[in-house]
Amino acid sequence: MNKFLAAALFIAALAWYLSFLAGRLDRLHNRVETSWANLDGLLQRRAAIAIEIARSEISDPASSLLLTFAAHQARDASVRDRSQAETGLTGALGILLESSGEISTPIELDLVRELDDLTQKIKVAIAMHVEAVDRTQMVRKKFLIRIFRLAGHAPAPVIYEFEGDVL
Amino acid sequence: MPLAKKRIGIVCPYGWDTPGGVQSHVGDLAEYLIAQGHFVSVLAPVINEEAIPDYVISAGRPISIPYNGAVARILFGPLAFARVKQWIGNGNFDLLHLHEPAIPSISLLACWASEGPLVGTFHAASTRQKIAFAITPFIEPVIEKLTARIAVSEAARETLQIHLDTDAVVVPNGIYAKRFSDAHTDPRWSGNTIGFMGRFEENRKGLSVLIEALPLIIEKIPDIRVIVAGPGNPATILEDMDPHLRQRFTFLGRISEQDKANFMSSVSIYVAPNTGGESFGIILAEALAGGASVLASDIPAFDSLLGHGKYGSLFQSENAQDLAKRAIELLNNPDLRTAIAKAGREYAQSFDWDVVAERIYDVYEMAMVGHDGVTLSSDSRAWNKLLGRN
Repeated sequence: MNKFLAAALFIAALAWYLSFLAGRLDRLHNRVETSWANLDGLLQRRAAIAIEIARSEISDPASSLLLTFAAHQARDASVRDRSQAETGLTGALGILLESSGEISTPIELDLVRELDDLTQKIKVAIAMHVEAVDRTQMVRKKFLIRIFRLAGHAPAPVIYEFEGDVL
Repeated sequence: MPLAKKRIGIVCPYGWDTPGGVQSHVGDLAEYLIAQGHFVSVLAPVINEEAIPDYVISAGRPISIPYNGAVARILFGPLAFARVKQWIGNGNFDLLHLHEPAIPSISLLACWASEGPLVGTFHAASTRQKIAFAITPFIEPVIEKLTARIAVSEAARETLQIHLDTDAVVVPNGIYAKRFSDAHTDPRWSGNTIGFMGRFEENRKGLSVLIEALPLIIEKIPDIRVIVAGPGNPATILEDMDPHLRQRFTFLGRISEQDKANFMSSVSIYVAPNTGGESFGIILAEALAGGASVLASDIPAFDSLLGHGKYGSLFQSENAQDLAKRAIELLNNPDLRTAIAKAGREYAQSFDWDVVAERIYDVYEMAMVGHDGVTLSSDSRAWNKLLGRN
């Protein structure tokens, strides 16, 4: 009788632990998606601002061309190529803003300020996303999660290699 | 700040009545957010429930336990857990901001009990927490629930990476820089003076290092005086001190915020000989904002706050000879002092609440994306749904 009780308790504990693990993993998958959606939205906005800057008076025709190209490339890139494309855009923006010197017109000042704000936010968003992906991959590797297939059909998250420091 | 007003719950793990860095950070942040029009509720352990501001809710009386080289007044246990759950359940918050969630406290309980946008701020920096390794497996799944993490300094971020294997965004602690910019020089504290501020009875504040260095400084600068501000009983320090050193000390006790600003702009040099246990060093940021020339020990937090010596002088921690040498260097060279103080003052503006709170709010915004407020995790458990409990 005692053996049955012990077995029943063990199964109950295991079931509780598995449901706990599944909940934990589900939360992480969820977070990978929301943090990516957030980051993606911010990066899209950055590309849009970059195009506006390309059309503004800060930019000379050659830089405009370069910037517009980089912005479109960043918008169209797949998740895997995204980090490289975004780094390209960062570079193009950096070259332009460094060489443009003092900006005095109000519209351009607004654009640059908006870009600064956005850059701050993107840094936070990248940190949050990278963290979520790292965690998810770590938890997915756990023995119990693999043998009980707790990850289900959720796709393994792709690492976004873009470091916040690059911005 | 955007127009959308949010309901924000902040959990402070340490007793509200006891002065400390985390408590004042939480208080300042809450007041800033309220001034911006947000609804803020702070849950904290409280000893005297009559002496707390409106926005603070008591979670019960704190208990004192030794932690990180000092006595921490924190709270946990079933009763506290019930209060935390009640606070979250009734609060209807858009976001919870948990301070120091990795120590056994109501912050950890709140993290355990809730679901939704959670932001955690890590204040402590210490590489010697052996206990942390032992409890990591229990804390990890809880800390993992935090949507975003903030560390108050590079040192705190490193501690987090080592002990909990997670990264964080660094947002420094805030100060009211404006309060310090209109300080005036007080003749009682100016002249050849060394300023020290803090709970001087605690060993880690390092007053003993300064006392040891004092005879060496007197040799070169005979009229030097030391002015100590902060709570504590001077007798414990003065008792076993040489009588001729004793007369050079002035103890002010705890001083007001305005006096603090005046103090910083009056003393010749401000010395922070802390030997460790410091994560950010808010007092140094305030000293810089007040226009003091700072001399600090080279512990990681101070080294990084002072820009590796750019905004203040550094001496080798716990080395009285080095302290004396640097202090004499500064005291004998007014031009160097003014130059350092000027650079430090400008730099201190980046710690102003206007800048810091904006950055914290950026993190809030990021964390709230895709979430619909904070709920109790017990609400979403399968068996509770089955049993019709909600």
